Formats: sequence, C-alpha cells, structure tokens
Amino acid sequence: MSTFRVGVDIGGTFTDIVFLDADGRLFTKKVPSSVDNYARAIVEGVAEVFSEAGIGPDSIHEIRHGTTVASNAILELKGAKVGLITSAGFRDVLEIRTLRMPRLYDLTWEKPPPLVERYLRKVVNERINADGEAERVPDRTDIAAVVDGLLAEKVEAIAVCLINAYANPAHERLIEAVIREKAPDLPVCISADVLPEMKEYERTSTTVINAYVLPVVGAYMEALRKGLDDDGITAPIYLMQSNGGLTTSDTATRLPMHIIESGPAGGVIGSQAIAKASGLADVITFDMGGTTAKASMIAGGEVTRALDMQVGGGIMHGSRLLTGAGYALKVPAIDLAEVGAGGGSILSIDVGGSLKAGPLSAGAMPGPVCYDMGGEEPTITDANVLLGYINPKHLVGGALPLNPEKAKQVFEQKIATPLGLPFDVAAHGAHLISASNMIRAIKAVSTERGRDPRNYALFAFGGNGPLFAAGMAETIGIRRVIVPPSPGLFSSFGLLYADVEHHYSRTFRRLLSAADPGELTEAWDGLAKDALAQLKREGFDGETAAVERSASLHYKGQIYELAVPAPDGNFDATKLAELAERFGQEHETVYGHRAGPEEPVELVNIAVVGRGLSETSRVPDKLLSEAAARPTEAARDAFFGRENGWIETPIIGRADLVKPVAGPAIVEEYDATCLVPPGGTASLDRFGNIVIDL
Amino acid sequence: MSGDTWDPIEFELLRNAVVSIADEMALTIMRTTYSGVLRDNMDFSTAFCDAEGKLVAQGLTLPGHLGSIPTALGSVVELFGDAIKPDDVFCLNDPFRGGMHLPDIFIFKPIFHEGKRIAFAATICHHTDVGGRVAGSNASDSTEIYQEGLRIPPMYMFEQGKRNETLWSLIEANVRVPVKVFGDIRAQLAACNIAERQFLELVAEHGVDTMCKFLVDFVDYTERVTRAALTELPDGVWSFEDWIDDDGVDVGKPIRLFVTFKKKGDTMYADWAGTSPQVKGAINNTLSFTKAATYCGVKSVLPNDVPANEGFFRCIEVTAPAGTIANGVLPAACAARGLTGFRMVDCVLGALAMMLPDKVMAASDGGNTGVSIGGYDDERNPFIYVDFACGTWGARPWADGLSGNSNLFANMASQSIEVTEAENPVEVLSYEFVPDRAGAGKFRGGAPYRRDYRLLETEAVLQVRADRAVFRPYGLYGGNPGSPSRNSMNPGGEDRSLDSKLTMMMHQGEVFRHELAGGGGWGDPLERDLKLVLRDVRNELVSPERAFLDYGVIVDTENWTVDAPGTEKRRAEIRATRVGELSAVLWDDWPRVDQAAG
Repeated sequence: MSTFRVGVDIGGTFTDIVFLDADGRLFTKKVPSSVDNYARAIVEGVAEVFSEAGIGPDSIHEIRHGTTVASNAILELKGAKVGLITSAGFRDVLEIRTLRMPRLYDLTWEKPPPLVERYLRKVVNERINADGEAERVPDRTDIAAVVDGLLAEKVEAIAVCLINAYANPAHERLIEAVIREKAPDLPVCISADVLPEMKEYERTSTTVINAYVLPVVGAYMEALRKGLDDDGITAPIYLMQSNGGLTTSDTATRLPMHIIESGPAGGVIGSQAIAKASGLADVITFDMGGTTAKASMIAGGEVTRALDMQVGGGIMHGSRLLTGAGYALKVPAIDLAEVGAGGGSILSIDVGGSLKAGPLSAGAMPGPVCYDMGGEEPTITDANVLLGYINPKHLVGGALPLNPEKAKQVFEQKIATPLGLPFDVAAHGAHLISASNMIRAIKAVSTERGRDPRNYALFAFGGNGPLFAAGMAETIGIRRVIVPPSPGLFSSFGLLYADVEHHYSRTFRRLLSAADPGELTEAWDGLAKDALAQLKREGFDGETAAVERSASLHYKGQIYELAVPAPDGNFDATKLAELAERFGQEHETVYGHRAGPEEPVELVNIAVVGRGLSETSRVPDKLLSEAAARPTEAARDAFFGRENGWIETPIIGRADLVKPVAGPAIVEEYDATCLVPPGGTASLDRFGNIVIDL
Repeated sequence: MSGDTWDPIEFELLRNAVVSIADEMALTIMRTTYSGVLRDNMDFSTAFCDAEGKLVAQGLTLPGHLGSIPTALGSVVELFGDAIKPDDVFCLNDPFRGGMHLPDIFIFKPIFHEGKRIAFAATICHHTDVGGRVAGSNASDSTEIYQEGLRIPPMYMFEQGKRNETLWSLIEANVRVPVKVFGDIRAQLAACNIAERQFLELVAEHGVDTMCKFLVDFVDYTERVTRAALTELPDGVWSFEDWIDDDGVDVGKPIRLFVTFKKKGDTMYADWAGTSPQVKGAINNTLSFTKAATYCGVKSVLPNDVPANEGFFRCIEVTAPAGTIANGVLPAACAARGLTGFRMVDCVLGALAMMLPDKVMAASDGGNTGVSIGGYDDERNPFIYVDFACGTWGARPWADGLSGNSNLFANMASQSIEVTEAENPVEVLSYEFVPDRAGAGKFRGGAPYRRDYRLLETEAVLQVRADRAVFRPYGLYGGNPGSPSRNSMNPGGEDRSLDSKLTMMMHQGEVFRHELAGGGGWGDPLERDLKLVLRDVRNELVSPERAFLDYGVIVDTENWTVDAPGTEKRRAEIRATRVGELSAVLWDDWPRVDQAAG
C-alpha cells in the first residue's frame, strides 16, 4: 500500500512534513529542526504522522526532500577539508576571486575566507592553451608529489581545476588517475566533470564548493537513509535542486552543488503547478518567513532561472549591482531575489529622523517583543499585532501566548513617540515600509528583467507572505493575489509537484554566423545522450524522458549572456537564424533594446535539461486536509491607515470563503494569517486557494 | 527637519522607489555593455537629479564618479536653460566644460510633466574609444587634450526626439569602434528612458508636488544625516603629503599631492593647495574628479548608510587652485587621470588617519595599473587588449589589509584569464600572490599579486601606467610600508626592470610582468599575534626569514609551531636596535637601523 508521497523541507527553525496520497488525503507536521542531526527530526516527525494518521512505513511511496544541509555547511564554514590542485602560476585564483566587493566606501569589508586555505592549494607545472592544445604536459612524478603532500595533510576531498581545462580535460584526467591510484576512496572533483565551461574563477569556485560539501551531504544522506531504514521505510529519497528539479540521492551525493539552494525551490515549483492548473501562465511568487522574503517569477508557465549565483554572502537588499559577497557557484538555479525582511525585522529611527524596518532581525531568539521572550526591540510582527492583523492572544496554532501590551509600550516609546505620531499610524507606516523593502525583491525579478509586474498574479506563501501580499499588490498595481492551502508549509508541499531534472552544459564559443551546424548538432546531441543515460538509470525512458535545449548568447564583446530555448533537431542555417532571432527578442524584452544585423551574435554555452516525467498527475484535484481549527473570535478591530482608520474586521477560516467575502477580513489558519484589505474581495477557487481580487 | 510637512513614512516609501530607479538604470547598462572597461571596472554611473540638476540618487557603481554628474549637468543647464524641451537628450565629454576625461561620455535626459521640467536622468559611461592618437583614448603620455580624442562640448544628442545627425556622424567618423560606442550609447539612452518611465509612474501615483517635494526632502535629509555624523568627529586641522612617482613624460620627476583637512562643527573643508602644478603627462585632474576622490575618502569614515547626494556634498567643501594637477586648465591632458584620483584617495585617507587613528587603513597599492597591448596581426587586423590590475589594501587598525580586492575608489572586477586568452593574442602565465611584499605590522598590508603576459602575435605596442614604484604605500603607527610595484620584461630570464610608466615594442614570445605594490602595515610588527605570523608562513605569504627579520618570530616549519622563548628573545633584540621615535606615518621599514647608519 505505498500510496503516500511525502515532502520534507528543513528550515533553520522548523522541519515541515507533508503526506499526500492519490485521493487527496493530506497530513502535515511541523516539528522543530534538530540542528545537531537534521535527519533525526525527519525520522521522528514521520513517525508522529504514522501514529496520528494510523498508517505505517510501507504506506510511503517516495520521499521528496528540500534541505539546507549543503548551504549551511558553507554558511558556517563546516565543510570538508579540501585540497585544490591547479595550474602553476594560478595558485590564488580561488582567493583573488573577481576582486569585486559588494560594499562601497566600506573600510570594514572582509572577504569571505577561501574554502581552501593557501597551504592546501597546490600547483602542477602544466599548461593547456585556449585552443585546447597541451603546451606543457605535467610530469607524473610532479603530480604524485603534490598528491602525496595533500594526503599527508589528511584532506577529506580533492578538487582539481586547471587553466583552460574546459577546452581539454586531459591533464585533469591524468591528475584524477594519480589520486584514484593513491587514495581510491577519497572524493575527487574534476572541473571538466563538474562544470566544463570557461571562466577559471567561476569554474574553480564551483568545483571547490562541490568538493567542500560532498562529504557533508554524503554523511547526511547516509544518516537519513539509515534512520528511515531502521523504521522500515524503504521508499526512495529524491532531493530538490536549486534549479527546481528533483534528483536522486545518488546523484545528489556525487554532485551536491546542485542542492545548495534546495530550500526555497519547492515553493516556487508548487506555485508553478497550481498556477498552471488554475490557467495562470504569469505569476510572481512571494515567500516571506521570519527573517527573509524571496520573490521569483513564472513567465509563460516557466520558472525563470539564473545561470549562476552567490552562496553564503548574506542578503544584498534586493540590489543586484553589488556582487562578490559570497562564493560563486555556476549552476542553474531558480532566479530568486531575496531581501532581509521578515516578521522579525527590527524597527528603528535613524539619525535623519526616518523610520526603518531592518536590516537587523530579532530572529527566533529573542524574537519580537510580543513573544515576551526577552525581545526589547520593536519588530514588524509587533506592528502587525498592534494593527490587529495578527491574533493578539497567541500565535496561530495556539502554541505561544503573546503579550500585546508590552509590544505596544515598547513601540510607543521607541517609535511612535519619537516620530510624533499616534501608535496606529506609526505601526501602519512600519507595515508599509517593510512592504516597500520587499517590493524591491519583486522588482528585481520583474521590472529589472524587463517584465511588467502588473501583468502577473502574486502567489503568496510562507508564514508572513499572506499578511503582506495584498497590500504590496495594490502598491505595485497587481490585481490578483493567490494564497495556496497550508501557506506556512508550502515549501514542503511544493516538493510534491516537482519532476526529476538534470542539467548539462558546456562551452561552445562561436559566432553564430561562423558556426558549423553539424558540429553544433553533434555537441547538443552529446549532452542529450548524457542526460538520457542518467534518466534511464533512474527509470525514465521513452515517453517519460524529455530533453530540452537551451543556449547562452551575447553580442560579441558583451560579458553577460542571456539564455534562450534552442530549436530541436538537426541544425541548419534556418535554425541558426532562429536562434539569433530568439536572442534578439529576449534582449529587447529584458533590456529594452537590441542591436542591428551589423553586430554579430556569439554563442557561448550550450545546455540541455533532461526531465523525468511522472506518468500521472502528481497532485490530486481536491485536497482533503485535516479539519482546520476554527478561529476563536468572530471579529476584532484592525487599523487600515489614516484614510480608513480602525475597522471592526471579521476573523474567518478558509472554509468561510466558499462565498466571496469583501474586505476587510482576516483569514486565520494553523500556519499563517491572510489579510484581505478594504476594497479587496476574497474567495476560494476549486483547488482550495484563497483568491483575493483587488 | 524640513518643516511641519515632513512625513517620515511617506519619505521612506518614496526613497525606496527613487533609489531603486538609479540602481535599475545601472543594471541596464551593466548587463548590456560592450566596453570591457565599463563591464569589468563598472566604469559608469547613473543618477537621478532634480530639475536644476542637483544629484538626488546615484546608482551603486563607481566611487570615482561621486559628485561628477552635477558638475556636468550644471554646464548643460547653464548653457541651454529654459530652451530645454521634452524629449531633448544632451551629451558632453569635454573635461573643461563639466566632463572628466574624453572616454567618459555623459548623457542627460530631462523629464517633463505637463510641460514643466521636474527632473533629469543622467548617465556616464567610459567608452571603448573616442579617437585620438592611441586606441582606447586612454594614453598616459599625451601632453595636451588635443591628442586625446574627440571633444564634445555640451550639445544636443536628440532635439525634441530628433536625432542630431551631425553629432552622430562626427562620432562615427572619429572613433575606432563606432559599433561598440553606439552600442553603449544605446544602453545609456535605454537607462534614461527607464528612469523617465518609472519616475512618471510615481508622479501619476503620488502627484507631481509630492514627488518634487520628495527630491528636496531627500537631499535635506542627507544633509542632516551627514552633519550629524560630522559633528561626532573631532574638530581640528590635519594635512597629509604623498608623492606620485612621475608623469611618465618627465621621467623621474616626482609630483606632490598635498591636502589640508579642516573639520569644524558639522562641516568639513578640504583644500589641495600645495599640490604640484599641472603636468605634461595625461594625469591631470578636473576639479570634479578631485572632489570625487575627496568625497570617497570622507565617506569611508562616515556611517555606511549616509546616502551619496547633493546633501552630502553640501557638508564637504573641496577647493584646489587652478593650474595644479588637482584642477587642470587648458590644454592639460587628462586621459589617465585615474591614477591621480587613486593616489588622492590615499592622501585623503592619510590625513583622516591623523584625525581618526583607529578608523583608517594604511596606504593601498595606489590603484589601477593599466596595461594595454595592441597592434596588428599578420592580416593587418587590429587587436587591442586592455587590462587593469589593483587589489591590495593597506592594513587596518583592527585587521590585515585585504588581498585581491578592488581598490576603494573603484569597484572593479578582474577579467577572466580564459576569456582573455580566447579573445586576444595574449597568454597569461601567472596571476597569483607574491610573498614577502606586504608591509609588516601588527596588522599587515594586503599581499600584492602579479600578472605575466606573453605576446603571441609578431609584435605589439605595450603601454603601461603604473605607480608606487618609487614612493611606497605608507604604513601607519608603526607598520612598515608595502614593497614597491615593479614592471619587468622576461622574468626568469633577462628579467629587465622597466619604468613604472612606459610605451615600448614587445615581440612574439616576450613576457611582460607587473607586480602590484604591497599594502602598508598598521602598528608595530613586534606586536603581531604569533598565530597570524605562523599562518602567513604556512600559507607561504611570509617566508620564515622575513618572519624572523620583520616580526621577530621563529617558526618551526617541520611541526608548524612557533618557538615562543626564542621569539621573545628575538623581539627584545630588535627593540633594542631601534633608533628614534615612532612616527605616525612610515615610508621606510622598521627596524630603521640601515637608515640611521646611512
């Protein structure tokens, strides 16, 4: 009776678990994350669902997992002790990075420490030139000495990245062979395998990151598997990748660089699926929790992806101009813009007399003032309590009693009185300012990409997302907001919608006008072959295995590329022209202008994505969720700005929306609170989503 | 406070909206640019200005442009005034009419609402080429502006939407790579259009009066914040002196930089009187660039969240006598004035270090070294490879100087070696740190790196603009200065030393090497934490010999431990040999025995 699919999402504070079967039976569980051993909370949480739902271990069909294990290893610098072998003359590529820093005029800036310290970075005297010709072949005894040196340092993994290896991997392979000979069990990552693309810093950094998290992810997967096995759960584990596709636990263990930003991807993929089912092709997702808010865009039914990302650099407040804060990781990822705004963002008044929300956060401890756990700084959550938006008696779910009097006293003293404003006006201002910070994330994925957000619906989830979404939508001019079921658990729920997905890419640098179509077809087919072989190993073949091509191009001389879908089949002059035209159109869409025919278009990288498709619809049409707790009060006063003032606002449950409800209204649920502003109308669609029309 | 109409909430909401306009303009340019200088050095800026041309918000790009836009826009407003109409676009690059150096083309678009001018969108881009005697229009050995390229005084680029064909055809006929120049101009125009559209949307939403009032409020707010921060600093007068090696024309003749800061109450005054007269070589500054360097230094000691706009400029008065290298007059050549700007930031920070000993770093590597290798291949196709190198910070009173990090006055990225080699007849043989070059100190300076370039074509002209080969990056409060920069030909073989600024022929197979200067140290090297010395030795950034000589630390390189008693003894010996009083600024190494003997 393996009928349930299980989504598990680990966050810094909570681990969310969702069980769903083909009939739409849904069980959810939120348990505290076990930071010392993340696997334990999962195993225990799953066992709790078993006993509550009266089901057993053999009822699980598969487990889909989003995890921060890999990104935490980088954030906390707790990855493996890695040795790096590189070309003579280039020992410091990893540490010099691109030189760029993310903060201007700041004498206190510190670079993130290199993931491999200099004494563990060794060079081999070799050289491959830009055409892939070996100018100097490395000497085997020289390699052996370097490898012995690293083994004597007891490294836990070795990364190899040589200059121009993207054009010819022979020397890297030679080094790999020597390492395997001397240390057969040591993890080895070769840049030509990990990322056969040009640009030595990005490739080195990506290869090193892969080696750095590999032993950590391996140990974690082993512990998780064992914990599940011990409980008799034999279902396979799939992991969510940064790109929004699933991968098998074997592949994730070999190429963990793909699961670094595993956490936020589930919510985006879930949004995509629900939007598609509802007939919406264009959606902006908005995920707001306690410390950060993230936005992404789904255009034409497709998730937008970035070609690279920075890991562990902190949050850049929505600005994409200043890079260099984290570690470069060149793998495709869902394009997320993040700002440091959440319920815990601290409110303050700066020396110029302006009200600020964040960037400091009260975090989970001590938390907002109203939690009464020692927090003395007013936060966004405190403002929301004072405004009547959040239940003033206790957090939804009832676990934690709140102290609204203390929140009011601190807010008056530190914010309202100094501003010379009544507390309600000041609290409402704080709410709006926080929203305007988060709007920058939405702009980063829309207007900054040449897309008008007013043509999109806003899909809101996370514990705080539904509280802010409608107000933000009004400001931007978005007319429809959608809040899915279990919005606070949606990242784990979304995992259930994902397909297995593998990305392959390589540098193929040619002017399109000079490209040999046959050679190009062959290169693309080579990548497709790798993708299909991998899918076949995982049980996807024929109808269930799909391959899509894409290409990164630019006008010759530009440094940044734009990725566009590429035509299938054998290439010829027509298809080359079509590719050039797709690029030109995308350039026009994103940047508002395109060049004329006198400017040559250059192909830089080619890629394929292989998808393993499930044979039946992944999620049933109707969800039969556990009986929702009813709100405990019928109405309370809430403040909607100077023009509306205090309004007695109905408090309702999601089920009450079977008939449309005019705002203002507050929908209270187990895991989130949804605010319907005056002027808005909320209803339920057939999937159980709250739809707010503005 | 700006009166009783100040609304702190509306203010913050509009501020988020307007600041993001300037950033979005910058993103548009960065992602679409063709100019290598522009894409890697972020040598461009975007700004949003009020109807009079006062700077309200600047995109987060290049500190070197801070404050230059109002000067340039001011000359447009002065010349065209009430004649400015909707859909006009103006441009200029003339350093003596508001520009900085010829490659920087400024483009401005006025924004109108119901017939009334309410704002300007502004952009500057460093273009790949604007003509003149050397490709790239960036030569440091030009001696008058007339050699440096096409000079564009303030003029129409579009007049009420109609393109000024005369100007466009003049540009096309005078620059070496019109396709790239026009591509970047297109990016600048796109950025201005984005700003116009977004600001008019804000006007439609909030009303024109609210938006125009906000532009005033934001500048006033910035002035309040800046004055509050300046008030916290001590009052007094501080001077600092530093020297540029030479201008590359009068080789070996040093050039003096001298600045005097006066801080009184909530205002800062910086005067560059005492700085050398303008020079023949192309390193003369406009006053706007001198201001940018001064602002950059001052901003780095103020809280990081002080906005950069007119309100900040109001609190810092910068003066420089005309006819000096800090304020050149016709026919001063200025293409390579970046060098002087970088060195001025070092000079400003030196003065501020006297004012605020625990907040300021020692001298950096002196900023960008420019390397260009250009010529023709065997089929007479031209090639030009331009690279910039910088990346060594001085030590700070609380931490070592950064190694491999953009200079404070820039926000540059290095070019990928693999991309360089795929696009140019150049092979890069080395790009790594050089040991034993950082100034020793309780906190040491950043370690410099070297780059080796091998020419693959038959021959080429090599042109280099470097500095700090003679006058080393100073150390502070007991820290040693960093090692000088060095240019050489064919390292490992001939290893011929070259001048810091040079133009010469290079032949196939020859290798040019540039080594950056090391960062200055901070504090007495004998007070450096033993663990940090051990770590530097283990990482081969400091040799065991220099650890012994500079830091008095004896490292056991078998077991990677420090011989603590031996080190204590050694440090006592060094102390005993020291001569004279410790001065705040050091140009020579501790221990100063040799100097005393000499």
